[in-house]
Amino acid sequence: MVSFGTDEIISRIVEQYGSMLLHLAASRLDSPADAEDAVQEVFLKLLTARPMFRDAGHEKAWLIRATLHRSSDIRRSAEHRNLPLEEAGEPAAQEDTLDLLSAVRALPDKYSAVIHLYYYEGYSIKEIAKTLGLPAATVGTRLARGRERLRQMLKEDM
Amino acid sequence: MDRKTYREAFDQIPFSADFQERTANLLRQRARELEKENKIVNFSKTKKLAVTAAAAVALLIVSVSAALVWLTPAQVAERFGNTLLSEAFEGPDAIEINETVETGDFAVTLMGLVSGADLDKYSSDVDSARTYAVLSLRRLDGEPLETQTFELTRYTMTPLAAGCSPAAVNNWTLGAGASGFAENGIYYYLLDTESIEMFADRTVYMAFYEGFVPNNTIFTVNDDGTIAFCDDYTGPHALFELPLDPAKADPAAVEAFLEENDMGWTNERTPMEDYVTTEEETPDGSLITIRPADSPETKVVFTPVSQEVE
Repeated sequence: MVSFGTDEIISRIVEQYGSMLLHLAASRLDSPADAEDAVQEVFLKLLTARPMFRDAGHEKAWLIRATLHRSSDIRRSAEHRNLPLEEAGEPAAQEDTLDLLSAVRALPDKYSAVIHLYYYEGYSIKEIAKTLGLPAATVGTRLARGRERLRQMLKEDM
Repeated sequence: MDRKTYREAFDQIPFSADFQERTANLLRQRARELEKENKIVNFSKTKKLAVTAAAAVALLIVSVSAALVWLTPAQVAERFGNTLLSEAFEGPDAIEINETVETGDFAVTLMGLVSGADLDKYSSDVDSARTYAVLSLRRLDGEPLETQTFELTRYTMTPLAAGCSPAAVNNWTLGAGASGFAENGIYYYLLDTESIEMFADRTVYMAFYEGFVPNNTIFTVNDDGTIAFCDDYTGPHALFELPLDPAKADPAAVEAFLEENDMGWTNERTPMEDYVTTEEETPDGSLITIRPADSPETKVVFTPVSQEVE
């Protein structure tokens, strides 16, 4: 079993997955700070849970799933507390960019995860299916439905 | 929208420049703390071996003590600092179940559940009912489960409803979240999900298993709509039927829910390798085609006009 507590492994994990997981968390969370918290908590969970991975793909899938779970939990808690939206926005982002980001975040979890992995990470449908443990056909359908919803929200020809 | 536009939008998000450095330092610090904690655990084990003879005499007393320290659902909610929910678990609407299934290395006990609006501190100002369920796990070999080492995300505890596909009614479609902690060697799950009372006129289950999203390698749907674990599913698993009040069912809400979430179900498995997927960039976006490898017939075509799985 790989020990995730060594300096070398910690550096590798953070460097290899940090950016990818941050952007994934940001597909669910409005605030960059919340996304950073979510990813840090996932890394801490990796450290303490010490899961056994078959290979690098299994490791990556675990991190992606855990990040999606944690981001959804944080989002739900924030929604329950009715946080004002202006506290959660990104002042440095462009307005048209905000539209796209907001639209992606407004999608149900099941659609946004597939959309993000496809459009940001460049995953194929097969890779997404393997990562999320879903049939490939379901991923294809979610991609289509998520994309259709985005199209409606953005009112643009995608 | 294409991948370039999408990436550019997300790349503009202003994350902290020192995130990686801060995170690596945080992890290193936590790793050192864990190393110290492990030493304490090892010491305790050595000490336990030294008193084996005395332990045999004290076995009965230990068993009684263990029974006394088993938390109730109300106490579990209290441990999360949720007084409202704790009170609800002791109120008239709470359903006590305390049914145990021994599976794999675990004894899985569904302790109880309660449904209603305004039951927790986070949703007290939200006008939507939710269901909260508490499940406990203990290892059959007596080894204690610990918060730090138990893999919460490795297992799933999810509601399912007969007559509805497991892919349609589950944690992911019901907006659920699970939290957990260990105390006295027992791991406690608190599941918080959109209210499942709308399904109460049919058999409603609480499933526990090792795995992620429900699929047909885990569950099978019988002809009468009832749900069971697949015969060849080998991970730890338990399926509890929930004694909900049928009078609380809301068929119209169920219909609306399924319209939004039901994507069909088949018990027939088609290995992913049996699909041929092609992707092609077109002026209108990506063209994705999925078809069974043994059939020339296209089953799904995605974009420019989206279509559903046949």
